[in-house]
Amino acid sequence: MAESVCSRPSNGGTILADFSQVLIDGLMNGAIYALVAAGLSLIWGVMDVINFAHGEFLMVAMYACYWLGSLLGIDPLFSWVLTGAFLFFLSAASYLLVVRRCIGRSAMAPLLATFGLSIFLKNFCLNRFTPNFRLLSGTIMEGRVLHVMGASVPLPQLVTALFSLVVLGCLYYFIKRTRIGWAIQATAMDREAAELMGIDTGRIFTLVFGFGGMCVGIAGGFMTSYLAVFPEVGALFSLIAFVVVALGGFGSIPGALLAALLIGLVESFAGFYIAPVIKYVAVFALYVVVILIRPKGLFGW
Amino acid sequence: MFSGGATTCARSRRVLRSCILAVIFLLAAGSAFAAEEKVIKIGALFPLTGPAAVSGQNCLAAVQTAADIINGKYDFADFPLASKEGLLDGYRIEIVPGDHQGKPDVAKSEAERLFNQENVFAIIGSYNSSASKPASAVAERLKKIFMCGASSSAELTERGFNYFFRTAATDNIESREFIDYIDYLNKNEGAGIKTLGLLYENSEFGKHAAEEGKSVAAGIGLEVVADVPFTVGATNMSSEVQTLKSANPDAVFGAALGSDYSLMVRTMKQTSWAPKIFINYCTGYQNPSINKELGSDGNFFMGGMGYSPEIAEVYMKAALPAQEIYRAKTGFPLDSDSIQESVCLHVLAQAIEKAGAVDTEKVAALLRSETFPSPLSLSGQVAFSPGGQNNKAFTVITQIVDQKYRTVFPESYADSELTYPFPAWDKR
Repeated sequence: MAESVCSRPSNGGTILADFSQVLIDGLMNGAIYALVAAGLSLIWGVMDVINFAHGEFLMVAMYACYWLGSLLGIDPLFSWVLTGAFLFFLSAASYLLVVRRCIGRSAMAPLLATFGLSIFLKNFCLNRFTPNFRLLSGTIMEGRVLHVMGASVPLPQLVTALFSLVVLGCLYYFIKRTRIGWAIQATAMDREAAELMGIDTGRIFTLVFGFGGMCVGIAGGFMTSYLAVFPEVGALFSLIAFVVVALGGFGSIPGALLAALLIGLVESFAGFYIAPVIKYVAVFALYVVVILIRPKGLFGW
Repeated sequence: MFSGGATTCARSRRVLRSCILAVIFLLAAGSAFAAEEKVIKIGALFPLTGPAAVSGQNCLAAVQTAADIINGKYDFADFPLASKEGLLDGYRIEIVPGDHQGKPDVAKSEAERLFNQENVFAIIGSYNSSASKPASAVAERLKKIFMCGASSSAELTERGFNYFFRTAATDNIESREFIDYIDYLNKNEGAGIKTLGLLYENSEFGKHAAEEGKSVAAGIGLEVVADVPFTVGATNMSSEVQTLKSANPDAVFGAALGSDYSLMVRTMKQTSWAPKIFINYCTGYQNPSINKELGSDGNFFMGGMGYSPEIAEVYMKAALPAQEIYRAKTGFPLDSDSIQESVCLHVLAQAIEKAGAVDTEKVAALLRSETFPSPLSLSGQVAFSPGGQNNKAFTVITQIVDQKYRTVFPESYADSELTYPFPAWDKR
C-alpha cells in the first residue's frame, strides 16, 4: 500500500459550519435558478407562451460555451457575453420562425411548437455532439474554493450566483425604467391597447423572446465552468424554472428571484437536515402549498 | 387511321400493364428471396437517448462489434466463431436496435415491439437494471431468450426466470469483493477502516447495490454512518456530499451513473472532502469517456471492474483485436460495462451453433447447461446457474492513477499498489 502524499483532510463537521454551508449552498443554487427562470418568466408573463424549449436553450448555451472554451480557449468568465448574444438571436429567430405563427391560435399551439423545438434541439445536439459528457477543464475559476465560517464556497458557483443577481437587477431596471421596458409592460397588460398607443407588439414579442434566451444564455455560459454538458442537462433545470415562475408569479422578476432563493434554500435545508433524496420532494411540496394558498404566485399580476 | 391509333394505344396500355405486372412480380420475388435470406435478428435494447445515453450507445456498439466478428471472418486466436463466416450453414446476425431512454415503461413496450413486430430471436440489454426488469419479464412471458449484460441488480437473477441469462457480476458479488478488500486492508495494512457511507442513485440499481453493501458490511463489523440516496439527473449534489462530509465515513461505496458521477466528483472537490477510500459499483467510474473529461480529478477513485484495457494487456490478450473493432466505432477502448453486452452475443451465438438450429428451446437448454469459452470475460468462461446468473463472473478492484485503471486487488491480479488514504484535494 503506497501512502498518499499527504494526510486526509480534517472533517469540519461542526453544527455551525454545517449550517453555514447549507445556507450558502441554498442561496447560491437559488440565485442560479433565478437567472435560468427569469427568461421563462418574462416570456410567460408578457406573451402568455410556455416555452418548453427553455431547458434546451440552456443546453445549447452550455454547448456554445464549452466549444468556445475548448476550441478557442475563451474562458466562461468572458464567453458568457457571446453565449448571451448567441442565445438572444437563437431565441428571437425561434420566435420569428416558429412561435409567431402560433400566437393568437389555440393555447396549445405555441406549447406544442416549443415542445417540438425542444425535441429538435436535443436530438440535434445528441446527433452532432454524441451523448458524451463534456467538462470544460482549465478554466480560471476551476478548483478555487473560498472558506467562509467553516463553509467551503466554490468560486465558480459563487461568481455565477452573484452575476445572476446583477443580470436580474439589470433586467428589472430595464423593464421598470426604460421606454422599451414600459412598452413590454404595456404589451403584457393589454396587447390591443398597447397597439392603439402605437407600440409594435410584434417587435416587442421578438425582443422579449430574445431577452428570455439571453438570460438563459448567460446562465448557461457561467454554469459550464462547473457542470458537465450533455444533451439532457437542461431537463431538471427547466422543470425547476417552471416551478420558480409559477411560484414567483408570471412575469415578475422580483417574484422569480424570491421564489428561486426560496426553492434553493428549501432544497438545501431539506436535503441536508431531512434526507438528500427528498430535496426535490420538498421543493414541489412547497410549490403545491403556495399555489393552493395563492394561485397567482407570490408576486403575480 | 383512328382505329389503328386506338389499337396502338390499347397495345401500349397492355405493354405498360405487363411491365407493371412484371415489376410487381420481380419485387415480390425479390422480397421472397430476401425473406429466405438466412438472418437471425437479435434485438439490442439500450438507453440510446436520455441520461444514460453514453453508456447505452457504447453497449450497442459492443453488440455490433460482436456481430461483426461473428458475421465476418477473422484470424483472431482463441475466439469462438471468429474464423468462420456467420453461424450454422450461412446464417448471419442482424442487430435490431431499440431505445428505452432509461425508462422502465418504454423498455417494456420496446421489448414487445422487438419480439412481436421485428420478430427478433432474442434481446440483449438493457443496461439499466430498472429497464432490464420489465423488458425481461416480456421475454419470459413470450418464452423468448433475454441476454443481460451489464445490469447488476442481484434481484434480476433471483426471480427464477427460465429464459433470462446475465453475464456480468452482480452488486452482491461486487459488494463481497469490496468488503473482502477492506477486511484485507484492515488486517494486513492497518488501514483502520471502521465506518461506511453509501452514496447511490435512487433507482432499482442504486437501491439494491446499497442494500447489498449494507448487508455485507455488517459481516466485518463496518458501521454504516451515512446512507445517501439521490435523485437521478440532479441539478446539484451539495446536500448529498455535505451529508457525507458531516458523517465523515472512512469508506464510501458509490453507485452514480453518467453525469451524476462527474457532478459527484466535482462537488467532492469543491467541498474539499474525501473519505479514506471510495469504491464504486458498476457506474460512471467505469466509463473511459467520463474519466477522460474528469481528467486528474478522477484519480484515486476506485471500483470493481471486469475489464479494462490495462487488464486486457496482461490477462485477456484475446480480447484486444475485438477492442480495436470497437474503438473504430466509438473512439474509445472497450469498458467494463459494454464488454458484457459483447459477451452476451458471443455466448448466444455459440449456443445457436451448438444447437444446430435457430430454436429457442434448444438454445435456452444449452445456455442453462453448458460452459462457454469467453475471451472477453476475465474468467475466460461463462456458465449460467438456475435463475440465469453467470457463476464464472467476478471483478477485480481497480484504482485510477494518472487516469489509468490500475488493478489493486486481488493480489493475484494486482499490478499496482493502492494509494491510501485518498489524497487531500488541494495537495494532489
